[in-house]
Amino acid sequence: MLRAATGLRRAVAALAALMAYLAGWNYVFCAVFVTGDIIGRNVFGVSSAATVEVTGYMLACGIAWGLAHTLARRAHIRVDVLLNQLPLRARAPLHLLSLVLLTGFALFCAWAAWSLWDESALFDAHDNSALRIPLIWPQGIWGVGIAAFVLMCAVLLLEALLALAAGQPGELDRLLGSRSLQDETEEALEAVRMARGG
Amino acid sequence: QAPIPPGPRIAITAITQPLPTQPQYTRVDQPLIRDGLRTASNGRIEVTLATHAERNLAGTEIVRLVRSGQAEIGAGTLTTLSGDVPILDGIDLSGLAPDITLARRIADAMVPVANRDMERFGTRIIATYPFPAQVVFCRQPFTSLADLRGRRIRTFGNSLVDFFNALGAQPTSIGFPEVYSALERGVVDCAITGSGSGAAARWPEVSTHISDMPVSWAVAAYIVNVSWLNRQEPAVRELIERTFREVSDRQWALGAEATRDGIDCNIGNREACRIHQLAARPMTEVKATEADRAETRRIFEQVVLPGWVRRCGARCGEVYNQVIAPLNGIRFGG
Amino acid sequence: MIAIVFLLGLLGALIFAAASGVSALPVAEILMLVGIFIVFFGAGVHIAAVLGVLAFLVGFLFSDRPWWMFAGQTLWGPSSNYVLVAVPLFLLMGEILLRSGLSGRLYSALNLWLNRLPGGVLHTNIVSCAVFSAISGSSVATAATMGSVALPYFQDTKYDQRWVLGSLAAGGALGNLIPPGITFIIYGLITETSVGALYIAALLPSLLVTGLFLLLIFLHGVRNPIEKPPAVPLVLKLRALRGLLPTVLLILLVLGSIYAGWATPTEAAALGVTGAMLFAAIERRLSFRLLNESAEATARNTALLGLILFGAFLLNYILTTINVPQALAAMIAEMPLPPWAVMLCIIGLYFALGTFMEGFSMIITTTPVIFPVVVALGYDPIWFGVIITMLVEIAQISPPDGTVMYVLQGMRPKPGPITDVFLGVMPFLLAYLLAVLLLLVFPEIALWLPGMLG
Ligand code: NA
Ligand code: NA
Repeated sequence: MLRAATGLRRAVAALAALMAYLAGWNYVFCAVFVTGDIIGRNVFGVSSAATVEVTGYMLACGIAWGLAHTLARRAHIRVDVLLNQLPLRARAPLHLLSLVLLTGFALFCAWAAWSLWDESALFDAHDNSALRIPLIWPQGIWGVGIAAFVLMCAVLLLEALLALAAGQPGELDRLLGSRSLQDETEEALEAVRMARGG
Repeated sequence: QAPIPPGPRIAITAITQPLPTQPQYTRVDQPLIRDGLRTASNGRIEVTLATHAERNLAGTEIVRLVRSGQAEIGAGTLTTLSGDVPILDGIDLSGLAPDITLARRIADAMVPVANRDMERFGTRIIATYPFPAQVVFCRQPFTSLADLRGRRIRTFGNSLVDFFNALGAQPTSIGFPEVYSALERGVVDCAITGSGSGAAARWPEVSTHISDMPVSWAVAAYIVNVSWLNRQEPAVRELIERTFREVSDRQWALGAEATRDGIDCNIGNREACRIHQLAARPMTEVKATEADRAETRRIFEQVVLPGWVRRCGARCGEVYNQVIAPLNGIRFGG
Repeated sequence: MIAIVFLLGLLGALIFAAASGVSALPVAEILMLVGIFIVFFGAGVHIAAVLGVLAFLVGFLFSDRPWWMFAGQTLWGPSSNYVLVAVPLFLLMGEILLRSGLSGRLYSALNLWLNRLPGGVLHTNIVSCAVFSAISGSSVATAATMGSVALPYFQDTKYDQRWVLGSLAAGGALGNLIPPGITFIIYGLITETSVGALYIAALLPSLLVTGLFLLLIFLHGVRNPIEKPPAVPLVLKLRALRGLLPTVLLILLVLGSIYAGWATPTEAAALGVTGAMLFAAIERRLSFRLLNESAEATARNTALLGLILFGAFLLNYILTTINVPQALAAMIAEMPLPPWAVMLCIIGLYFALGTFMEGFSMIITTTPVIFPVVVALGYDPIWFGVIITMLVEIAQISPPDGTVMYVLQGMRPKPGPITDVFLGVMPFLLAYLLAVLLLLVFPEIALWLPGMLG
């Protein structure tokens, strides 16, 4: 059971990672798009007349599509100074409490995103930019990201509950605890290695 | 006028103007909606009045705000709301109404038609009002609309984009708070906003010439939640409707007064500047010529109107010909 | 600890105000909410969830509106606000500069000039952060970039870890104050103040803060001398300055484009990214892998802030529907105190909020309400923008909650308790507060330059 849940979590995490890469590249394109708009305006006398709206959508969707991966990497911020002082047995249920609350919050956000999309569909709403973009498109893409976040929460919760039931609080701590210093260091050093000409 | 019978307290939330400092808010909303309703109802009606800024709202979401019961009454400019209800844009197209009297007649005539769309979403327009005329501010001299060809102009909303494209200018999309520095540094050459809003945002510090020709009026509307209004006792409903008729009259009068006042404040005409902030560095007023007016009319007929009908649908063209064409004498489709 | 002390102080002020009849307050409920806040924080619940749960509780306890029916719009509106696009763009620029080695060269070039002063390489931390801040508008990005370059330098040295971490956190907290900065962009958005004028006004205050930091390190260095590295010939030092060149060019691009009128402050962030890619290409480091990894890191760090913003916006919406900030502002405004005392209260309020709030959500929630009060008191909007930004920066480095500190803690090559960061940052925090007080006494520090140029 636990192993199946672990497999499921890994699969969802892989999907989430893919989505996060897309979100990241979306920012790269956003920079290129805005730069193009600046050059276009100053050199060629053309402007998209929709920069404000489109870059706003890129931000909202980028945030949403990065949420699940950030959770999988345990990077969403918690204040765990006190938590880390506690013994393992006390830590496990607190991790679970934290995840349950986060899942609840994520579910609410997903429901809110869905009802927003639904209302936009009812209104057949468009933005006021020159492109008159139907709002169901950016809001739909945004909602998909939040839904993926809920899914990530759910599979993590399943795995954590099974780990707790199987009497493996250590496994649960590894799953939900803040990222070990090693993880973070590895990442920072990797970046620096790359900078040194790797 | 039936007096309000005693009964339970009625709490109303009304989220009206964009900023708490605007004269539309301090000179009309606060005395009439907040204080007036309380007095006339012998203290039964308690209005919580707030602005978009205080509620962190962008202004585009007002219909949804009222529909979902966050506030009983909301207000916003029709262009901003037209993303949700396209027909609203038709009341305030660029170049539609050269003077404010006509603007009001068009708005009043369109309300019943627009309300058919609004009521699909559980809301209704209860009163219309204008902001001071939307005029062009430039950082370099110009003498007529034709001089704007090739300049970068900060616009918002579709019909302004159509209008300035047709003039050969280059509409540019920049958020309102960034316009001040954009004008200062020349990111844009010109920008359009209400004559009074420009004075309040201290645009005279960063621009030199202001046109007196109203491109549009930023017509706005108070929107009410229909099911809430229908639940009220007849006397209360009557009081609210009567109050908003008065609010509408006062706002239209203020709009006419504030349009001229905004220009006077911007050009440093101390005696005539009573409502807005007097510019420290006076601007030059550019009077509209007959040619400008004719050009505006032509662009409206040939570019702005067809563009709106294309966005809004064929039905909007028919509505326009039935309701507005008899008032301004310009028919859609010739 | 500071958070709790200040919360209690704040509550004391609230109760005092209620007792003196300014307005009636539901003290029991407020105490309960504060209690829940503290317990959840202690239990390690995610910050976003804490804010979300608080929003639910406040909503169901105090609001008679169906606020949840508007939640979609509450979350969507601000997160699709184009002004905030500057956040991921500044983060992305930092990631690219880090991975292409440009920030490393900046650090070593400055180090040759500074490492023989008392306090040594610690000076380099501050100065390199300050220089980097002149391209980056994000404190988190500044701390992350310079932190990952600097921390490996201090491995196996005699420098006190606390001072190393503290100086890097403090340097990161210059990221928003030295123009360009996201806080100014947001403040300008909310209050309709000129971002360009804010940038100019921030120049002298940011020099003041940087100077105070350097002075602090100098004093620390004099009291705790360590062996100086051998002197380097001037020729080598001058040659090393070439390492500064890309950074200086980027500063010219980002700030220059704003003042030359090519780009708005938000757009300039995008130019920074493109410029960083250009320099990476010139260095022959631009690759798919570099961009891909920078993209992932940016997505992760933006999502991390974005989730907190979700919680903050929801709480913010509910607090405003029940008029809490308005009541608070009215209370402060009605206090029978002279303006400077009211301003001290406001600064105290922000400092208290800042200990446990993200600077970001703090400014979005409070500015619309506090700003009219400040203007009514006769204070200059530009001056207050600088003060707010300094307080937001202080919030980023005031324990127990501050993103800049977490980011640094996450990057330490050798593990250690986060209290190292907390303690290390303390002297710098006090120096920052001193600068705020100096600005309160001498507003000209901020207003002189804009007055000269305007
Ligand atoms: Na900066
Ligand atoms: Na803090």
